This record gives sequence, structure tokens and C-alpha cells, in this order.
Amino acid sequence: MSAHTSILGVFEPGDGWLFRTPVGMKYLLLLALALPPIFIFSWWATLAALVLVLVALLSSGLGVRKIFNFGTYIWFFLALLTVYQLIGFRLEAAFVTPGNMLLAILAARMLTLTTSTADLLDALTRGLQVLKYVRINPDGVALMVALMLRSIPFLAGSIEDARAAARARGKERNLALLLTPAVVNAVAYAQRTGEALHARGLPEDG
Amino acid sequence: MIQLRDVRVVVPAPRQGDPDRVLLDDVNLDLGERRIAVIGANGSGKSTLLRLLNGLRTVTSGQVLVDGLDADKDGKAVRQKVGFIFTDPLAQLLMSTPVEDIELSLRGRIRDRKQRTARAHALLEERGIGHVAHQSIYDLSGGERQLVALTSVLSIEPAIVVADEPTTLLDLRNKLMLRRVFAELEQQVIFSTHDLDVALDAQRVIVVDGGRIIADGEPRETVDFYARAMADAVRA
Repeated sequence: MSAHTSILGVFEPGDGWLFRTPVGMKYLLLLALALPPIFIFSWWATLAALVLVLVALLSSGLGVRKIFNFGTYIWFFLALLTVYQLIGFRLEAAFVTPGNMLLAILAARMLTLTTSTADLLDALTRGLQVLKYVRINPDGVALMVALMLRSIPFLAGSIEDARAAARARGKERNLALLLTPAVVNAVAYAQRTGEALHARGLPEDG
Repeated sequence: MIQLRDVRVVVPAPRQGDPDRVLLDDVNLDLGERRIAVIGANGSGKSTLLRLLNGLRTVTSGQVLVDGLDADKDGKAVRQKVGFIFTDPLAQLLMSTPVEDIELSLRGRIRDRKQRTARAHALLEERGIGHVAHQSIYDLSGGERQLVALTSVLSIEPAIVVADEPTTLLDLRNKLMLRRVFAELEQQVIFSTHDLDVALDAQRVIVVDGGRIIADGEPRETVDFYARAMADAVRA
């Protein structure tokens, strides 16, 4: 699986309890598990939340490979965070900082691996109906959020592609060579997405 | 029927003081045949011409009419009549999986979630790609992606399909497959291509060069004219 697809994973239908749980409940569960450890900032809170997320994912029929298959660069970044904290002898932070990041990713995957984008869109549209009172189209906002979710893996993949291209030229430490193509790709991606939406008459048809 | 009347498309020059760039000039066309191919060199104005037909690009002056509807003023209605297929299907597919992408197209037509999903699956099955419904679009082959993009466009039941170099990124097998699919479509199909064999599938071929229509007519004769013109240009 490429970096383009791996951070949030791809939904495949299943029959585990998370698949059957309403989207709103899953949002709340995500927040309940991912947010407290950030404020508590203690090894036991992070560990407990990680265990709970993993239990939720595994008990819903998702395999270990599917749960943790979110790209080597994330693991690399987590390792980097750990090493950075260890160098400063901040032992608890060496676990909590990368642990909370891993927790956020797993909690997000708890939602994205068990919910189709169509369900997410419908739930968001329902939840955002209040925006109608300020003349904002809830469908449009929901679509924007869905596109934002879709763009995260693309941008991550784009950075990985730029890194591979820089490495091929023996210049992987040149930050400009890494960032320039990624930024150009991001702008081009936004433009293409706009055109694709326009071609389909979205969001006004939605 | 699509009609272009005195169409001119101009974009400002990138540098101040330079003359504006004319992408299309003096284009007058009545597009009624079931299969129309647009050919021309890179940068000749093919894509600009096709993008006008679905309102993706607007004219600087002149008019584009689709069944009497102005593509600029009645954009929403025109886009429901004219589906557009991009060269790179990845630029067109907005969701992570084929079934989700088609559901997105169907949102405006089918409000019930279960019916929408069932319809999306049925459309993928009809195209023979039901097995990739839940795969990531990045894991599909070029041909499968282009078929998903086509299915997504056809899901809104357009009367006309406009395709901008749909076979350019495909290998020979997928190119032949897509040609067969296009041949079987009930809709009017207007496409651009660099492949002269593909152009010969059409009933009418239009040659664009430097933003102007330089030939327009029966496929064999027009393609031969274009091939000779290009050969002459290379020799010159």
C-alpha cells in the first residue's frame, strides 16, 4: 500500500461492532480516547488509551496488519520524536509524546477504517444543519471536510514522492528540494480537485 | 447539439507588456455527430475547446450553447447534460474508493443512503469492475481508474460525454478496452486524442492548430491532412 492511501486507511465493509456503531458515537469515542491523554500528559493515561483503542479495533475484526499499516515515514517520525526526548533525558515524554501521536492516528483510523466516506458525509451534513441559519450550505461544508480527509494521504504521499526524487539525485538533505515539489503538488492538487468538483456540478447539486 | 458561435478565449500574458495569449479564436462549430474526435498538437487548443463544452472554461467572447443552454449562464444545467472525463482519472476521482466516488456523484439524485450505495455497486458491476468497489483508487490499474471515472460521469446520466485525451495514459490493452467501451456508449461522445487510430473511430474529426480550426470533416481524409501537416512542420 502506498503512502497515498495509508495514514487514514481505506474503508472496507465489515460486521464488527465499530462498523455497526453510529458515526456520531464513533466521533465521541474518538474524542474521548484521544483527547484526555493530551491534557493529562502521563505515561499511564497514554498507555491506557492506546490499549483501549487497540481493543476496540481488534474486537471489531480489524487485523493487526490493517491497524498498523500506515506508512514507514510515520514510524520513522515517531522514532525520531522518541530519540529526541531521550537525548534530553525526558523519559516520560519519550513515551507520552510519540504515544499520543500514535494514539491520535489509531483513533482516527478507528473512525475511517470502519466508516465509509458516504456515511461520514451524511453524518456531517446532519450535524451541520444548524449552519443553514447562517446561510451556509451544510452539504458543501461536509464535502469540504471529506475532501480535506482525502487530501491528507495525498499530501503525505506527495512529500514521500519528493523525498524519493531528492534521494535519487543524492540530495535528500536539501529541504528546498523536498518542500518545493510538495508545495507545487499541493497547489496543483487543489486546482485539480476544484476542476473535478466543478465538472460534476458539486457542491450545488449535492 | 452543441453550438459554438464566434468563440474566442484569451488569457493574460504572464509578463506585463507581453501580448495576451489567444487560446482559441474564431471558432464556429455545430457538433451533432455521435462520435467526434478533436486532434492537434500539444498546446493547440484542444483541451480549451473541450473544457468550454462543460463550462470548465469560459469564453472571452462568443457563445457556447448546449441544447440551447448557454454554458456560461446556465452552467449547472449544462454540467448535468455534459459529463467530462479528464486525461488523468486521479485528477477526477474525489473519494478514496470507487464506490464512494460514484456515491458522491449520486448524492444529488438519490437521497436514501442504502439506495445510493446499491446503485453505485450496480453501476460498477455493469462496467465489469464491481470487484474493485472498495479498493483504494491508488491501487487500481490505469484502465480500471479510467473506467471508474467514466462510471462516475455516466452515473449522472449525461446526454453528452466529453473526454480530454482519455487514452493517453493507458497501455495498449486498456486503450483497446476503453475504445470498445466508448463505442458502446449511447451518449454523444466528443473526445480529443493524439492517437490517430482512435480518431478514426469517430464520425467526424476536427483539427485544431494555434487556437483555430484548420480542418473539419470526414475522419480518414482529415486525419491524413493532419498527418501530412505535421510531417511538413517537422521537415520545415
